[in-house]
Amino acid sequence: MKFGLFYEISIPRPWTRETERTVYNNCLEQVKLADELGFDHVWAVEHHFLEEYSHCSAPELFLTACAVLTKRIRVGHGIVVCVPEFNHPIKIAERTATLDLLSGGRLEVGTGRSATWTELGGFGANPDTTKKSWDEFVRCLPKMWMQETFSYQGEFWSMPERTILPKPYQKPHPPMWVAVTSPGTEIDAAERGLGSLGLSFAGFGEQEKKIKDYRRRIQSCEPVGAFVNEQVATTNFLFCHEDEKYGVEMGKKLGNTFNYLATQLISTREVYSSPSYQSLGLLPALRRAATGPEASEQQTEGMAYGDPARIIRAVKKWEELGVDCINFILNANEVVPQDQVMASLKLFAKEVMPVFAKKPANIKAAE
Amino acid sequence: MPLYGSLDITQSPARLPTLPNLDTESWALPKAEMMQLLIEVPRSSTDGLLPKAMHPALPSYVILAVTKYPDSPVGPFTLAVLRLGSRAGAHPRGFLLGAVASTDAAAKELRTRWGFPVESGEVKFLRRHDRVMGTVKKAGKTILDCALVDPQPVSGTDVQYINWVTAANAPLDGATQPMLIQVDPKYTFFKSERGKPLVNEFDATAWNASGLKLAEPIVGTCCTVDTDLPRIRFVMDPLKPVYLGTRRIRESRVDE
Repeated sequence: MKFGLFYEISIPRPWTRETERTVYNNCLEQVKLADELGFDHVWAVEHHFLEEYSHCSAPELFLTACAVLTKRIRVGHGIVVCVPEFNHPIKIAERTATLDLLSGGRLEVGTGRSATWTELGGFGANPDTTKKSWDEFVRCLPKMWMQETFSYQGEFWSMPERTILPKPYQKPHPPMWVAVTSPGTEIDAAERGLGSLGLSFAGFGEQEKKIKDYRRRIQSCEPVGAFVNEQVATTNFLFCHEDEKYGVEMGKKLGNTFNYLATQLISTREVYSSPSYQSLGLLPALRRAATGPEASEQQTEGMAYGDPARIIRAVKKWEELGVDCINFILNANEVVPQDQVMASLKLFAKEVMPVFAKKPANIKAAE
Repeated sequence: MPLYGSLDITQSPARLPTLPNLDTESWALPKAEMMQLLIEVPRSSTDGLLPKAMHPALPSYVILAVTKYPDSPVGPFTLAVLRLGSRAGAHPRGFLLGAVASTDAAAKELRTRWGFPVESGEVKFLRRHDRVMGTVKKAGKTILDCALVDPQPVSGTDVQYINWVTAANAPLDGATQPMLIQVDPKYTFFKSERGKPLVNEFDATAWNASGLKLAEPIVGTCCTVDTDLPRIRFVMDPLKPVYLGTRRIRESRVDE
């Protein structure tokens, strides 16, 4: 089992110039500690206009800072929005290659298409075509990284022959993933030989089915890149404390706050009737769990908060289900004081991480 | 934490519809033709329109709907409504700002059974080969002229309608008082189309939305549905956050 940090970078109102800076600095301090403690990954989302919920609109910059401050931890885009109005594919290839160089080959590239009207509408993107553009992008990226010269004529973008520079440090290219929230996206990931970067907080039953479907389908995949990245990651909240009661209490507060922050955002399906967004996705799932910012109800099973023993039980269950990596959200709107976040990371590393021996990533060369 | 509305409906209860009780029977409304236009609006233009208990949606948007009900307990009628996209707790809701019904009987019943702020007027739902049109006149003045342009077939499963919240006075705990009422119709889709929203004329003040400005169109739909107006199940304190101030007054329906 591998462990990572997952950053939405949520920032409470009122937004002064210091609040955003402080939260970013807190995140970097956490990443530096996590690197020293032996965490495997730090992931950063790409979100735009999502007030309080996520102020992480330039993840490549945040991840570059993470890479510069650390020695070993891998840095991951979780995810890059593969919609032309958000990111030109040439720029994605260039930026990710540069980050891979600067990090000394520690980059993971998650891909996705955005799920909110708040974002898609803000960029003037057509929700009907985001799945198609994502598919084009993920098929082009490995070629742009690996081929000396590249040209392309597609539905969503085209370019004459040029040399895209620089090239990534990792050879043949960095591992690729896709954000999996909506049911069925795990199959999209598997069919393309991509890692499944789970971003939902579903319970054991739903996750188990997704993982089984993913593992089954990836056996006969046609990888878009030079190798198959068969890995399943899931997202969780982390608050580890010696006192179980306090740990659970604070963990629930963290989870409830995060979920409730999703309240105001507009999922695409809410306002834009499109076959491309038939499933509910992450936001409605968060809303179902968000009975209030201070709700006392039990949250989704398998949450990594409480004392170390409780967290070990939860992680073991995820391991049994076939999860390779758990990525943790450490804070939301700064409801957990920074010193407690840092203490939680240290206690987790001391008491929980040693229980879970690492296994090598299941990466196979494409035939 | 999320933003809240600023409207205190308890300051002007006389302007709200009043229900004699919260026990209305449900209405079945078969084969309704429902045109719904979603349009973004500047956040600043919604100031004072949303109750304190609710959260605004980000970005702000409104739902303009014109629906032809060919069969109802008060006979055929057409209803036009303006709702503000918002949140009751964590749940997407459309807060009802104003409504006009094409018959006096429909206006009276919708007002006193569910607390809709309905007045009667001239409401038309018209279908042409390239558009579906809705017009509303009150006292001879056009207050809405809108259309769904170039409708194209989509699946009913692609369309999501959010539940309604309205502000009204109703008896609860021995006193008639201002409250928020959730109305959550069900829909069975027979035909669904999607197109571009077009608004030629919109008088915000006539819809109790003074200052509201229409901005970017999102999408429009026109669907033929079996729908209903159900019994009232949830009421909310208009001043407390909904997650703290919601009361269930009736059990959920058997199909939920």
